[in-house]
Amino acid sequence: MGEAALVNEATVINIAGFCKSYKNKAAVDAVDLIVKRGEIYGLIGPDGAGKSSLMKAIAGVLSFEQGTVEVFDVNVDSEAAAEKIKGRLGFMPQGLGLNLYGDLSVEENIDFFAQLRQVTREQLAERKEKLLAMTRLDKFRDRPMKNLSGGMKQKLGLICTLIHEPELVILDEPTTGVDPVSRRDFWAILAELLREHGITALVSTAYMDEAARFHRLSLMYNGQILAAGEPDAICRQAKGCLVQLTVEPQIDALDLLKVRYPQIEAIGSRLRVFVDNTSSMDAVKVVSDLLPGLAIKSIRAFDTELEDAFIALLRQGLLANQAIQANTIPRFDNPLSNAEGIAIQAKELTRDFDKFRSVDHINFVVRQGEIFGLLGANGAGKTTAIKMLTGILPPSSGEGQVAGADMRNAGQMIKERIGYMSQAFSLYLDLTVMENIRLYASIYGVNRKIVRQRIAWVVQIAGLKEVTDQLAGSLPMGIRQRLALGCALVHQPGVLFLDEPTSGVDPVGRRHFWDILVHLARVEQVAILVTTHYMSEAEHCDHLALMYAGRVIADDSPGNMIQALQNEAGQLLEITTDNPLAALAQLEQGGFKGVALFGKHIHLLAKDIESVEKQIRVLLDKQSIRLIALEAHAPTLEDVFVYRVLALEEKEPI
Amino acid sequence: MNGHAFLLWWDRIIAMTLKELKQLIRDPVLLLIISYFFTADVYMAGSGINLNLRNASVMVIDRDHSAASRELMYRFRKPYFDLKGEISGKNEAEDLLNRGRILAVLDIPENFQSLLLQGKPTAVQFQVDTSNTVLGTLATGYATEITAGFAQDFVAKRLGLNAEQMDALPVIQNRHRVLYNPNQIDGWFMSISELLTVITMLSMMLPAAAAVREKERGTIEQLAVSPLSPLQILLPKVISMGLVILLGVAVCLFLIIIPVFHLPFKGSIGLFFAVTALYVFTTSGIGLFIATISHSLGQVTMLVILLLMPILLLSGAWTPPEAMPPGIRWAMYISPLYYFNEIGYAILMKGAGVDILWDSLLGLTGLGAVFFNFGVWRFRRQFG
Amino acid sequence: MNLSRVWAVTYKEWREILRDRLFFTMAFVLPVGIFLVLGYGISFDVEKIPFAVLDQDRTAMSRDFLHRFIDSRYFEYKGNVQSERELDPLLAHSDIRFAVIIPPRFQEQLMAGRATSVQSLIDGVFPYRAEVAKGYVSAIIANFNAQSLMGYLVRKQGISTEQARVQVSPLRLESRYLYNQALRSQWSISSGLMMLVLMVTPPFLTALGVVREKENGSIYNIYASTISGSEFILGKFLPYLLISCLNIFILWWVVMNVFGTPFKGHPVFYYAASIIYVICTAGVGLLVSLLVRTQVAAVMLTMVISFVPAMLYSGLLVPIESMGTATKIESHLFPTLYYLRITWGSFLKGLGWDELWFDVAALMLYAVILWVVGFLNFHKRPSA
Repeated sequence: MGEAALVNEATVINIAGFCKSYKNKAAVDAVDLIVKRGEIYGLIGPDGAGKSSLMKAIAGVLSFEQGTVEVFDVNVDSEAAAEKIKGRLGFMPQGLGLNLYGDLSVEENIDFFAQLRQVTREQLAERKEKLLAMTRLDKFRDRPMKNLSGGMKQKLGLICTLIHEPELVILDEPTTGVDPVSRRDFWAILAELLREHGITALVSTAYMDEAARFHRLSLMYNGQILAAGEPDAICRQAKGCLVQLTVEPQIDALDLLKVRYPQIEAIGSRLRVFVDNTSSMDAVKVVSDLLPGLAIKSIRAFDTELEDAFIALLRQGLLANQAIQANTIPRFDNPLSNAEGIAIQAKELTRDFDKFRSVDHINFVVRQGEIFGLLGANGAGKTTAIKMLTGILPPSSGEGQVAGADMRNAGQMIKERIGYMSQAFSLYLDLTVMENIRLYASIYGVNRKIVRQRIAWVVQIAGLKEVTDQLAGSLPMGIRQRLALGCALVHQPGVLFLDEPTSGVDPVGRRHFWDILVHLARVEQVAILVTTHYMSEAEHCDHLALMYAGRVIADDSPGNMIQALQNEAGQLLEITTDNPLAALAQLEQGGFKGVALFGKHIHLLAKDIESVEKQIRVLLDKQSIRLIALEAHAPTLEDVFVYRVLALEEKEPI
Repeated sequence: MNGHAFLLWWDRIIAMTLKELKQLIRDPVLLLIISYFFTADVYMAGSGINLNLRNASVMVIDRDHSAASRELMYRFRKPYFDLKGEISGKNEAEDLLNRGRILAVLDIPENFQSLLLQGKPTAVQFQVDTSNTVLGTLATGYATEITAGFAQDFVAKRLGLNAEQMDALPVIQNRHRVLYNPNQIDGWFMSISELLTVITMLSMMLPAAAAVREKERGTIEQLAVSPLSPLQILLPKVISMGLVILLGVAVCLFLIIIPVFHLPFKGSIGLFFAVTALYVFTTSGIGLFIATISHSLGQVTMLVILLLMPILLLSGAWTPPEAMPPGIRWAMYISPLYYFNEIGYAILMKGAGVDILWDSLLGLTGLGAVFFNFGVWRFRRQFG
Repeated sequence: MNLSRVWAVTYKEWREILRDRLFFTMAFVLPVGIFLVLGYGISFDVEKIPFAVLDQDRTAMSRDFLHRFIDSRYFEYKGNVQSERELDPLLAHSDIRFAVIIPPRFQEQLMAGRATSVQSLIDGVFPYRAEVAKGYVSAIIANFNAQSLMGYLVRKQGISTEQARVQVSPLRLESRYLYNQALRSQWSISSGLMMLVLMVTPPFLTALGVVREKENGSIYNIYASTISGSEFILGKFLPYLLISCLNIFILWWVVMNVFGTPFKGHPVFYYAASIIYVICTAGVGLLVSLLVRTQVAAVMLTMVISFVPAMLYSGLLVPIESMGTATKIESHLFPTLYYLRITWGSFLKGLGWDELWFDVAALMLYAVILWVVGFLNFHKRPSA
């Protein structure tokens, strides 16, 4: 296998029986882990799974109670022992740019880390230029760190962590809160740097779709390792397969299937079901049999992806039974009066901040009952657009209608008719679930006579029954976000604005959250405008608008967007070789653009697959790299996003 | 505003006020800080600072060694002075004074007794360390009194007059009456002064902290898109924190100042609390202004400290207006603590009522209206 | 100890301080601010006491007596009233702080060789002021009495004025005010405030500097690198030491030029001692930063553990002699006492190493203990 060329068998990290608790509450419980030289090892899991504690202990900056942690064959059991390894490793803690110094410029930050790490002046000069050029930060070297975008902060963090050329880097959620383009960029840079210097990396992430970036990974949940190994092997551990179908009417099919297969979700017009303990041959038949009398338009079985595998493993291990119950969602007690027609309309909306134009003449329409996704990199203007539509920020020019009211002069009326969930969790962590809901019921002036009934409705729709008396701060992210949604729904609004509602939430929680959204849109005809960085979520939307530099550059359904990309740039080729790193370099030299490394595979977009395949074979043969497999897939929404944004970035860099 | 809208308006205010109170209750660190200020801090100020002269060390250079010189020196005794003994000469005295071992030296000249007996004028020298002026002033004052008393007794004895005959001389007998604090207990003044300072600080700090916390945690966004008006967001913070401060004041008065320092509460309790409420409202306007220009609790704390200083300086608590330079005396009229001090002492210690204090109350109300409206205006501009 | 790593931290910290405008302002404005507020705010010079008069006699003699008050620089005449009842609201409203009541037949009694009495009402809210005012009144009356008696003796016994004077006051107390001849309270307060301000601001800055890194997570850069705890702390501290060293100069200048206090000691000795004191107090800040996680907690804790001992146990406001035994021992446990001795010794007494070596040694010991405890408790591998 290609593994051999990539990974030298020496063990860098060896952990056995690791336990760590805070105030008698276990954060990590009996974890074993081995990382070998040259590997990119992933820790994947939701917030609070114990990833950070584990990584800090490995970096020697956190003491622990039980187990052994060996790094470079040093047993890290004391402060003195930890000092021995620190010269050979780099550690980047969680949080966008939090470990950097906001008031210092990019260059000053790098210089500080270099001095701290005793890098000589000549080495520093050489490495700094190279790293700055590679991360394309060289134009911003004098800009204070706090004025960088999220993606740039993380790239700077990476430079600072690598400036002393450590043998092992530990990166804690380097891509959380970063848009897909910057994320892909970050991974490409990381992969290249690691390859050049043979650095070993331990990286954590909350994004399941980044799994393919790792050679090996551990899935963590609740302080334990759920599964470990190569990404494909983990997917195979979940017994069952995935079936995707289009059926009319969708909501009936959903209800029928949910009883038998709890792991089901609606993605636009399609349904996606995980069929337990069934091979892909039988699955299609099993599912079809459950839907007598419904019009099945298409049905197909797929191999399991990591996110589905994660949920299946949790479910099969009965670890997350609380989240996957098929709960029936109650109906509005006041059906929307205006259930048809236009819910949100933006006409030439524009907003300037000083000289900077944040939103530039955007137009779109959202109808009642539609889930509308607003996508874009950090700083593309999504949040500003939402702020204008919700009436927090007056537009510089243009107009808009929200919930039947003109946003220029009926701000107060709009505020009473919409629900809003902001980017960060914006409820009171020191109030209980019930207290938060009551507070918002009072703020929105829910009639005293029906307030009790309405609160019961919110508790049920958001699935908060078991936690009503707990402090919001003590809840996991997934439940918190449902609480926030519940509070935004307390007055049964006809229009919902959700700004990155699922950032940092685990896949189980995200699914549950989207179940509610789908129900609200399909059954109650609520119009939902949502932004997200999870491209897998964007597929749930009926309609998408892609923003770049304040403008809407594409506006269509997800399916049409993918189709348009296919027409323009072709299929996605997944290339498997015995030496992916060499192959990548070779393909880039050969003139292929947008080539990216995903774990052991290489991805690229190609129109004429046959001729491209020939070209590739010729190129790889030159370096005597063996081509193991070459498969064509339909591109994903992430490919659409990255392709479109990169194309624009080339034309008009920000 | 019709009836329904009015009820809704109040419902929102009440809901937000309750929210603030609940949040406060769940913040043990903040509660601890608040209770520290209203109890321990006031107690320490009241009991710790005392500007009386007690047991000041004195030494004597007695060059006469007579009955008269001994009598004079033994009058330098407790409680004001502590006679540490005799020393031989000036050099030693200077050395002890330099090192701060003693506060003063009494120098009795030769022939002290014989001169007195002959009816000739004489003088004793009193060298006093005035590097601490409070002590120096008081020590000199007491020493003068002691010497005068000694001289009077000596003259009376020499003239053979008894006490009754002394009264038959044409002198003014001095009858002092120290009003409001007849035993001159420092603790009364100090503890009330500290209480008023604490009220000032907390009424700027707490509403500002509550407002900036919403900014820090991002909860302000959720409120901004709700139908709440800026006033409905801000007023509950002032109301709730005001209630907490009034409770703290009650605790401080009834558990610390009155029982521990035995302050006789002269005026109307109701009036004092009403004025305190008005004052909290006034200063919270400054707090809300601070909240609009800062991004974190740390910045709020620093700005509060920065603003507290001139307010304290201009309050007139430690330096009464008459002792201020004329320019600064005018600036005092814009310090809310100046009015509050006047009113606070007048109610608590002097038993004054509205009839006497109406002008200060008017000043405080005027300032309050200006400050609060300014705070809300700033906030509205930022989030409206 | 690797100096280039120390320098890396120092340089980074210095750049950050320069860029953070609020913090930079605080670093220089806060000390001077506290200084001016307290220096002007705490004045123990009792002058211009506003007073009113109730003259029930209205004779030449009563007017002569009253003019002794009106002409004194210690009192400020506010007017005449017609009845005792009119005095109450004036006193309650703080329009006057003192009143003299002259009884009817004042002149008649004195001319007839009989004693009479004058009542003085003194506002006792601030006992120290009342005490001093009482002293002024006594002195004026004693002076009047002496003249009255002299006149009486001259008339009665037919002796000369000179003889009468000796008879009336045979003994004088000659006070010699050492170190502060003019008895200017601002001399002692302003120089004493060096102690207070340098107790509060260096720990404030140091604690905030370290806790800031803890709060935003950049401390992990330090934890995860090869820099040692002592290198980090030293590097972190140097910029704040530099700021404090500048502040010493600024404050020193303010003491001498704004408050007009003379400096009689050895500048180099005093500057060195001040730096040792700053190292010492910054050590307190270091300990605070090890205990807390947030900037707000750091500010509060520093205020409490530095302000209180500086105010109460240093001898600035409460004379050490007046303290009880327990408090006296406590006060010797804080560095403030020693530095105050050095400050007053240097500014007012003109002392140097010979007299003050013990206090300097005590500060050094203090600094060493604090920093060693700080170093030992800084862990790069904490448990949470």
